[in-house]
Amino acid sequence: MPGVFDRLNKEIQDKQQEGGITPLDLASLPPALRKIMRLMLRELQMTYPRLCEAMDEMPEADRLSREDLQSALTTLTEQYWLIRIGEKEKAIYKVNLRRKEGSKLAAGIWSSLNERLKKHPKDT
Amino acid sequence: MNKGKIVSIHSFRGGTGKSNTTANLAAQAAMAGKRVGVVDTDIQSPGIHVLFGLDENKMGKTMNDFLHDKATIREIGLPIGDNTDTTEGRAKLKGKNLWLFPSSIRGREISQILKEGIDFNKLNEGLQTTITEFDLDYLFIDTHPGLNEETLLSIATSDILIIILRPDSQDLQGTSVTVDIARSLDVPNLLLMVNKALPKYDHAELKKDIEEQFSAPVAGILPLSFDMAENASSDLFSLRYPDHEWSKGLRSVAQAVLALG
Repeated sequence: MPGVFDRLNKEIQDKQQEGGITPLDLASLPPALRKIMRLMLRELQMTYPRLCEAMDEMPEADRLSREDLQSALTTLTEQYWLIRIGEKEKAIYKVNLRRKEGSKLAAGIWSSLNERLKKHPKDT
Repeated sequence: MNKGKIVSIHSFRGGTGKSNTTANLAAQAAMAGKRVGVVDTDIQSPGIHVLFGLDENKMGKTMNDFLHDKATIREIGLPIGDNTDTTEGRAKLKGKNLWLFPSSIRGREISQILKEGIDFNKLNEGLQTTITEFDLDYLFIDTHPGLNEETLLSIATSDILIIILRPDSQDLQGTSVTVDIARSLDVPNLLLMVNKALPKYDHAELKKDIEEQFSAPVAGILPLSFDMAENASSDLFSLRYPDHEWSKGLRSVAQAVLALG
């Protein structure tokens, strides 16, 4: 029977497949949202109280009010740019980056390349 | 925020000396007693391992293994201080706290990444985990030239971005694009480094012109050097030839980075 950790992990993985932000999108975000995303990129995941603490540690000019922080988190989670696990004070936020797509070159090119590389022992 | 600083080294065009600069800056930081990591995010054309004297046989696990859940970051970090060779410059790193996180140079593993793409959540987790797992003061990221998505991610997560350019019209135009992007991503510290400057240029004048053009500090102007070319990535130049003009310029960039830290 799956444990709590497995269940949460599965929930995160399912949500990660539903979208995510690209590094280029980050540049287009409004400053308040970008501030949170940059923080989350470094911390990987944060609880709501820890996010509030991190905001309080920022220079005064960069801080968001609790109301603005809550509003920004709502926007980011609605877009699946952040994933929220849990509710209210116990919520954990995790950044969700969109996967870089693979090459659109025809599949035959990759299989042909793989066949050629297999012939080199160091590449197998 | 994590304790360690992320320093991305970038250039808009290839051939600017990015990997050489990254390896030498990391070496200088390690020589200054810092705990330093170097990640090769140039997954499609990796090369920085060569500057640390490594080849495919010595490399072990790579970032490609991490991205495919075949290795942990702890398993990938290669302690350069324990793996130095007898080359004069690199030998000075013996016992220093410097780890390399290389990308694979196996053709099949590179083609697998190109074919399947990259899980950026995993890549970012890897970058941040190197700092916490190895208790790093600085993580230097060697990026692919130009603006691809891996590069943008490394810029977005950086504390310090160093953009390398040559005094060349194409480089100047490309650098202006990169500077704009870096500012859009709120990178806290932006430094420029001019490499391969012809000796006939007045370096003070060049520095002033470029700083005015980009409204960003130039941390060093490094000369075009036949000695550097002759070194051909066979050693860490700034450690081997510390009194050379190139090495002096490089150290001024390293000092600018450490001063931010």
